Parts: sequence; C-alpha cells; structure tokens
Amino acid sequence: MSEMTEVTTTGQTAAPAPTETPAVSLHAVTKRFPGGKGSEPVVAVDHIDLGIIDGEFFSLLGPSGCGKTTTLRMIAGFEYPSAGSIRIFDEEVGLKPPNKRPVNTVFQSYALFPHMTVAQNIAFGLEMKDVGRDEIQRRVAEVIDLVQLEGRENRKPKQLSGGQQQRVALARALVNRPKVLLLDEPLGALDLKLRQAMQIELKQMQEKVGITFVYVTHDQEEALTMSDRIAVMDSGNLLQVGSPEEIYDHPRTRFVADFIGETNLLEATVVDRRTAELGDGTPVRLDSDAATGTAVTLAVRPEKLGLVRADAERNHDLDAVHGTVDRVTFMGNAIAYHVTIEGGRIPFGIEIRQGNAPGIEHFAVGDEVRVRWAPSSASVLED
Amino acid sequence: MSIVDAGSAPAVAEDSVARPRRTVDRVLAGNAWMVFAFLYLPILVLIVLSFNDNDRVGVWTEASLRWYGEMFQHSRIMGALRTSIVVAVLSTAVSTVLGTAAALSLERFRYKSQRAFDGLLYLPVIIPDITMAVMLLLFFVQAFDIVLLVTGVGMSRGLGTITLAHIAFNISFVALVVRARLSGLDSSLEEAAADLYASRWLAFRRVTLPLIAPGVAGGALLALTLSLDDVVIAEFVSGAGTTTLPVFVFGALRRGISPLINAVSVLMLVGSILLVVGSLAISRRRTGG
Ligand SMILES: Nc1ncnc2c1ncn2[C@@H]1O[C@H](COP(=O)(O)OP(=O)(O)O)[C@@H](O)[C@H]1O
Ligand SMILES: [Mg+2]
Repeated sequence: MSEMTEVTTTGQTAAPAPTETPAVSLHAVTKRFPGGKGSEPVVAVDHIDLGIIDGEFFSLLGPSGCGKTTTLRMIAGFEYPSAGSIRIFDEEVGLKPPNKRPVNTVFQSYALFPHMTVAQNIAFGLEMKDVGRDEIQRRVAEVIDLVQLEGRENRKPKQLSGGQQQRVALARALVNRPKVLLLDEPLGALDLKLRQAMQIELKQMQEKVGITFVYVTHDQEEALTMSDRIAVMDSGNLLQVGSPEEIYDHPRTRFVADFIGETNLLEATVVDRRTAELGDGTPVRLDSDAATGTAVTLAVRPEKLGLVRADAERNHDLDAVHGTVDRVTFMGNAIAYHVTIEGGRIPFGIEIRQGNAPGIEHFAVGDEVRVRWAPSSASVLED
Repeated sequence: MSIVDAGSAPAVAEDSVARPRRTVDRVLAGNAWMVFAFLYLPILVLIVLSFNDNDRVGVWTEASLRWYGEMFQHSRIMGALRTSIVVAVLSTAVSTVLGTAAALSLERFRYKSQRAFDGLLYLPVIIPDITMAVMLLLFFVQAFDIVLLVTGVGMSRGLGTITLAHIAFNISFVALVVRARLSGLDSSLEEAAADLYASRWLAFRRVTLPLIAPGVAGGALLALTLSLDDVVIAEFVSGAGTTTLPVFVFGALRRGISPLINAVSVLMLVGSILLVVGSLAISRRRTGG
C-alpha cells in the first residue's frame, strides 16, 4: 500500500485513466461482532489489507457470509472496525460517522424514503449539505436525465418498478458526486434480463461519471463482466486481488479456482523445477520452486483444454494426457466432455469444453483421446 | 381503543333473498341485535334521561335542557372538567415525547441493562391500577416529606401529582404503540439518511419521525383516552381541592344518583365520540390521500 500513497502528490492529470491515488485503503482491518451468550465473537472481517485505486470499478466477490457487506459498511461508516485503519483519499475515517464521509451508498434493498417523491429522495443529500435551491433543481434534473427517469419525478417509490427504484437509488447517491460510490448487491433483486441490462448500463455510467465504484456481489459472472479489479473473499479473509483475467486465468488458491467459473484440479508431484508428474505418471511442465516430491495442485479451465484422437500427431508445445471419453453433454453453444484418465493408482476425471463451431471434431463415449493444453493455461495453486 | 373496520359494509348476496333462511342465520341475526341492544340501550337511556326535567332520575316529566344549564353553572363540575382537560393534555404531551424516546432507545440502540429497562418499562401496563395508585400515593407522600424536611417547602397533592401520575403510566403505553411501528421500519432507511449527510437529529426529523408518525399519533390518542378515563389513580393522588371529572362523578354517585350526573356523562360521551371521529379522520387522511 505504501507504494500507492507516494503518488498522491502527482496531482490531477488530464487523462481520465485511473491515477495511482488510493481512493480507499484498508490497513489490517478486523471486525468482530459479539457472538451469542457465552460464545466466541464472530470475526466477520479478519485483518485485511486493501487498496482501491481512484476511478476504478472494484468488486468484492465471495460467497454469502464471507464479510463483503461488513467490509462495505465499514467504508460507509455504518460499522466501526474493531482494529485497523480505513482511509479515504488519505484521510483517516475509521471512526467518523457516515454523514462525515465523502462516500455514498446504494443499498441492496434500495432504502428509498417511502414518504418522499423521486425528486425529493434524490434532492435529500444536497439539502443536507445546504446546497442552494437552484443548484439542487439543476443537479436533480441532470441526474434524473442520467438514469432516464424523466417524467417520474413526482412519483412515490411504491409506484415504481424494481428496476426504476434501483435507478432512483443510484441517482440519489450519484447526485452528491461522491468520491467513492459503494454498492451492495444492487442488482440482486432484479430478474435476470434486467440484471444483465443494468450491468452494462452501470458500467457505462461508471465510466461516464468517473467515480470509484466499490461493488459487492456474490455473482462471479457479474464481477467478471463489470470490474476493473476484483477482490475474492472467503470467511473474512482476502484471498486474491486482481483483474478479472488474472483472477480467472491464474487463480492462486483452490477456493478462488473453484468459486470462479469451473475448473479442473489436477493433483501432481513435483519432479524438478520445471516438471511434475500427474497421477498416471504423465509429465507436465510447470514453474515451481517447490522441492522434489512435493504434492501440488494444477488448475486448468475446461475451455482451455483441447481434445484430439489418441493416435493424432503430438504437439510438443502442449502438455497432454491420455484418457477415455465417458460422458458427452451437448450444451448448444458448446459440447462438454468428461474424460477419465487411468493408469495411476487413482483414476481421475477431466472436464473439457469445446465450442460448437464448424471444423471441430466431435467425439463419442468410449473414444480414446488425448487431452492437451498449453503449459501457461495451468496455474499452480498455493494450497 | 376501538378499532373500526371502515370498508366492511355487510354485502348481502342477491340470491340469499330467494334462499330459504336457515335457523342458524336467524339465531345469528338475533344475537347481533341483542348485542347491540345490550351495548347501546343503556347509553340511549342515559341520553334520554339527561334531558328529563325532574329532580328524580326515574320520573319523566318533560324534555328540557335544565340539567345541562345547571351543569355549566356548577363550579365544581366545571373545575373538574378543566382539571381533566389540563391533566389529559399535559400528560399526553409529555408522555408522547418520553414514550417515543423510550421506544427509540429500545429499538435503535444497544446498551447495558437494556433488557431490564425493556421489562420494567412495561410494568405499568400489566400491574393493576389500584397497585399503581397506592405506589404513587406512597411515593408522593414520602417525596413531599423529604422536600419539607430539606427545603422547608410544603407541597400538596393536586393537579401536579395527577399529571405526574398519568405521565408515569402513559409513557409505557405510548412506548408500546410507537415501538410496534418502529420495529416494522427498515433500519436501513436511517442509515441511508446518515449516508446522505443527515445528522442524527435531521435523520430523525426528516425520515424516522414522518414514518412513525401514525404510531406516535396512535400512542398520543391512547394516552389522552387513558388519562380522561382514569378514576382509580386520580382518586388516590388528587388533593382536597382538585379532582378530575371521572373522580367527581364517582364521588357524586356515592351520594346518590342525580340527573345532573346524566348530563355530565353525556358530555363525556360526546367528548369520546369526538376523539374517535377525529382519530378516524386523521388515519383516513394518512392512508387515503
Ligand atoms: N450485526 C451483526 N452482528 C453479528 N454478526 C454479524 C453482523 N453482521 C454480520 N455478521 C456476521 O458476519 C459475517 C459476515 O457477514 P456479511 O458481511 O453480511 O457477509 P456477506 O455480505 O459477505 O454475505 C456473517 O457470519 C454474519 O453472520
Ligand atoms: Mg451481504
């Protein structure tokens, strides 16, 4: 984190590209909730360090109960950290109340004020900041235009559809031009079609206004499609932070590999610095400084695997393993194969997905095949 | 409090006319009439007799407003009426504020000994009036003794003690009603207000209060009704000179029924009806619009 804070003095650059100023930084943040009578406290967030870059779309991704919401609520000020420091643009905010922080929140339940109209809801934050009447009117109109709610200014939240309420919640936060916008599963209550449309719209809106978004979701697809960077969380811990490509292509732990997309986990034993052996004795290339004999796990995505007949010519740039097709699933846009690898003490299976495009050979159950992949497609996991 | 379901006018299906009436229907209809008679005949009798121009309650001579005239001339009745109104208004105002604050503190904050406070707050709702009355009387007697001892100022029971006593039990009822409303309120609304730069106070005034207003109004109305209704506690803690209207009526009845009491009762009845109509009008304006 220290290498990020140094750059704050560079000042405003003309380019809209994210500067290296941390919009939000968490240092050793822990949150404990008191447990029930006589039980241990619940550690919702466990000593995490995190730097969110100014202008980026940052997602907190993880299964339910992993501490995403708690992390977001600590940034917003609804919860105070039990330990650690939270900084927003280099200002310590850890114990400041929410109304004194330059951030705004889009709540999962929207939390629109039911007794106020759309326009009154949106104007609320500006009124609290004592912005002049004319300016309030102008900015409310501007943001209503941005979220396409023209003509609905005088409706009450109850008279709007879920998607429209969602837009009001967004407008109510954006109108304040916060430095950071916090969103807690804002699309969770929408149906699939609308959710997908809103994903694209949200991302475009974020690029347009240039505000840092911190986005909480348990939906890996949503995180992958929208984010500049993703932090994967599990039981209060931060497992990996990186771009969607890094997270997807090079998961560092079993959990990340498994939680995001589908993956094959191949057990191997290190032979030397550049090779390991799969369970059936097939040598594969890898980059590891583990000692000879160490057990490692390789993660390979099903769509990164190729399938050829067992008697096809060998390509020495690729690693390959011999097996038998034992299941074929037609999925429309793709065909999934399950191949069993025998020969070792324990037979193991590999999932392969091939696009349903012309020119790609199809296989049937019982075919002898070779499964092959580029060594760079296989990630060595740390656990 | 009476709960009146406005939208349920009994609709009789068309074909029920043609259908032979079953015995059950008749019995039920008869029962309904009997209940109505049981409830409203005494009231009707009371109203009619209050217009009777005779010194004896049971002997009808002719209709007149004589007792109403006497009632408005009667300085003790008018004094008791004024006391009742002052006590009701004051205790309602104070207990509505304190009861709402108590409800907020129980619903929205976490602190030590909260559970004990929670339980104790509702004690006045469940303990019998007479116990409450004795408790309060003892308290005032002791307190005044101490004040006399320490400052030399002698204090006596009256309007002040009745008002304090009514505040004491009304807080619980207001808190109960407001809390029900508050627990149904999404607490993220208050967080949203804070997130939009509202201070605690502004979040309360602009978001929480408007949303719990029906509960607060309901609690206030209940407090007003309970205060106007109370005989037992007021009887104990009132002083020699000051009584409320119900206490006066109760005392007068022990000296014998006079037609004057009928007129006073009708006055109180009219007051209650106005309260109910007023509260219905308020709740209709809130839900309708
Ligand atoms: N107010 C609270 N009191 C006690 N435990 C809580 C509270 N809020 C969250 N937790 C616990 O902390 C953990 C993380 O919760 P949360 O941050 O809401 O997870 P997520 O948003 O990732 O689903 C959960 O085990 C949850 O039960
Ligand atoms: Mg959550």
